[in-house]
Amino acid sequence: MSLIIETKELVKRYGKFSAVNGLSLEVPLGSIYGFVGPNGAGKTTTMRMLTTLTRPTNGKAWIAGHSVTDEPRAVRRAIGYMPDEFGVYDDMRVWEYLDFFAACYDIAESERKRLIEDLLELVDLSHRREDMVDKLSRGMKQRLSLARTLAHDPAVLILDEPASGLDPRARVEIRELLVQLAKMGKTIFFSSHILADVAEICTHIGIVEAGQMVVQGSMDEMRAQLMPHREIMVTVRDNEAAEAVKSLVAEMENVVNVTILEPKAGRSRVRIDFTGDDDGVAAVNQKLHGAAIAILGFSEETKDLESMFMRVTKGIVT
Amino acid sequence: MAQDVTPVEWIDLPEESLTPREQRLERAATVLRWGAIANGALAIILIVLAFLGGLKIIPNLFTTLHTLLLGRFSSADDAALATVILLILVDISLVLVLMIGILAREIWALPAIWLVVAVNIVGVVLLGFTPAIFSIIAAVWSGIIISRDVRAFRINPVMLKELRGRMRGVRAFIVLTIYLGLMSGFTALLYLIYTPLAQAGGSASAGSIGRVLFVGLVAVELLLIIFIAPAFTAGAITGERERQTYDLLRTTLLASPSFVIGKLESALSYILLLLFSAIPLQSIAFLFGGVTELELIFSFVILAVTAIALGTVGIYFSAITPRTLSASIRSYTIALAVTFGIPIILSLPFLNAFVNAVAGYGSGVSSSPVVESILIYIGLILVSLNPVATALTAQQLLTDRQVIGFWSVTLSSDGSTIPLVSPWISFSIAYLVISTVLIVLAVRQMRKVEA
Repeated sequence: MSLIIETKELVKRYGKFSAVNGLSLEVPLGSIYGFVGPNGAGKTTTMRMLTTLTRPTNGKAWIAGHSVTDEPRAVRRAIGYMPDEFGVYDDMRVWEYLDFFAACYDIAESERKRLIEDLLELVDLSHRREDMVDKLSRGMKQRLSLARTLAHDPAVLILDEPASGLDPRARVEIRELLVQLAKMGKTIFFSSHILADVAEICTHIGIVEAGQMVVQGSMDEMRAQLMPHREIMVTVRDNEAAEAVKSLVAEMENVVNVTILEPKAGRSRVRIDFTGDDDGVAAVNQKLHGAAIAILGFSEETKDLESMFMRVTKGIVT
Repeated sequence: MAQDVTPVEWIDLPEESLTPREQRLERAATVLRWGAIANGALAIILIVLAFLGGLKIIPNLFTTLHTLLLGRFSSADDAALATVILLILVDISLVLVLMIGILAREIWALPAIWLVVAVNIVGVVLLGFTPAIFSIIAAVWSGIIISRDVRAFRINPVMLKELRGRMRGVRAFIVLTIYLGLMSGFTALLYLIYTPLAQAGGSASAGSIGRVLFVGLVAVELLLIIFIAPAFTAGAITGERERQTYDLLRTTLLASPSFVIGKLESALSYILLLLFSAIPLQSIAFLFGGVTELELIFSFVILAVTAIALGTVGIYFSAITPRTLSASIRSYTIALAVTFGIPIILSLPFLNAFVNAVAGYGSGVSSSPVVESILIYIGLILVSLNPVATALTAQQLLTDRQVIGFWSVTLSSDGSTIPLVSPWISFSIAYLVISTVLIVLAVRQMRKVEA
């Protein structure tokens, strides 16, 4: 598996404040990589370093084998960057907008006309060709931005919050577009603070918090890490019973952790982190039944990405 | 891919990220830079020699230099030396402009190369101007380097974008119409006010009316340029930052010189449009007579050079300040200081030497010829830094003594003559060199990566 984006211990300090603190990132070629973290976790700063806009305080980063600090122009050739804010030129038509950026990428005038047609078709804006850029809806602007990033046929797209501020329909459209681009062989590296956006289309995911990578890997790996890890919630009458459950279950096979939670509505609850299979869950249930403890409830909580996100990001935002 | 190569191999290889085409352009620019440096070094040596010769330390120095550097120039030896220095300065500004044109991949850079070569060959043939060899070598060499890549030169995308926006719809034409209406009204007003006044004073020759109309229009245009040139360019870079498009541009392959030159060209082309569209109004002066075509050309050159210089001042401040407002304030401060501040310095009494020289009187400021000539040269330099003083002096020299380029002054202290140049030439050289320096500084500022 070859990496198209790689960073090693990337650090960015502004004075005493560390926006990015030793971030190591590995984005495989051809992947859709979701870069997830709460606001202020250092996502945008990392992207600005990758796009050669900001020099890292420390550490190294490569895109398509080119060092971000030493070969910025080669890096720019390899990337298409879409910042989180859409830069609008007033007094510019949709095709002129693309024509201008294509010219900035040194594409000959004779080739630009066809290129613009193709790009507009790809993002489904052909019918708005002659419209003014600032008259487009936000979703259309975002699609136009995406078309701009593709002007020079880059290998990697670096998209900062591509779906933020969009209505649900536009969000779906962008998502479909990203999948389509990935099929065309582009590597897509995009950030989001909404995990649901990421979960559906990503092949890889990296969760960042306080400028550090908390966990990263392919979606399959993430699921594999998560799925055997189940949560069983046992509800009992009082704290005494909860303690009894805890002592009973703690010694069992495949039980990772037992926690007594705060009583809710006068009932005590015990959370059992469990890595066994369905038979194991049944065994726990049976064991509790065998003991003389009054069980009010026994349930297995389903754990999704969102709860994993909540758990790995402990809410520490610098 | 990243895993196959160790990180060390990527360090310190900035060349690698340039395409062969970009490398050739860089090389061509480097050749021209060395051409300018060689010219500059020669100019400095000659200025030092001129002082030594003027103090008569080395005998026959001027004669030797005259035959060596400007063999076919049949004037006095010291005038020949001054001419050589001046021609070298002209060459430096031409070569620097050419260098920036090539870096920005401007389509005009291609004919400009051959223009530089042709002008210098003419200099060699007509005057025997041997130092032309530096510029010819630099221009031809860079021309050969880029000859394989003429397709790299194209219409500047930034200029195209700006002009598309600026000239769209009816707005630009309404502005132009209002401008011409105001200028016509001003001309009519000037005519109506001046004619009865002059008739009452008994000096109502048609020529004097034509002259007043011409000078009045040029003055208004100059004022216009002083106010609109910085306004057009002070937002060049800060405006992109404020619109949040600057980062987008910086992640493209657009070279910083292209960006700066594109912004400058779009501002200048609009100003030039205003200037050109007013030429018919200026020609009304020809109906009355009293104004020569040369004056029209001088005024146009001075206005255009002023626009270029103030435009680059705007761009420079736009590059080094974070906001358009502060960039505008600084640009206007400089523009006003140069146009209105320098005349105040010029009115200081010890600088009368140059003013007297232009008027044709003995300066009478000093008994020492050295002090007197230094004062005259300082006066020339100061006048050359101000468009108004330059225009008035050049016009006075033209009408009183038919001076187009060179002239000389007889010192009142010892009766010897020193060579001088009409200020419109020194003004153009000084402003063009300052402009190129500011462009280079702005480009350097843009290339800095946020630390």
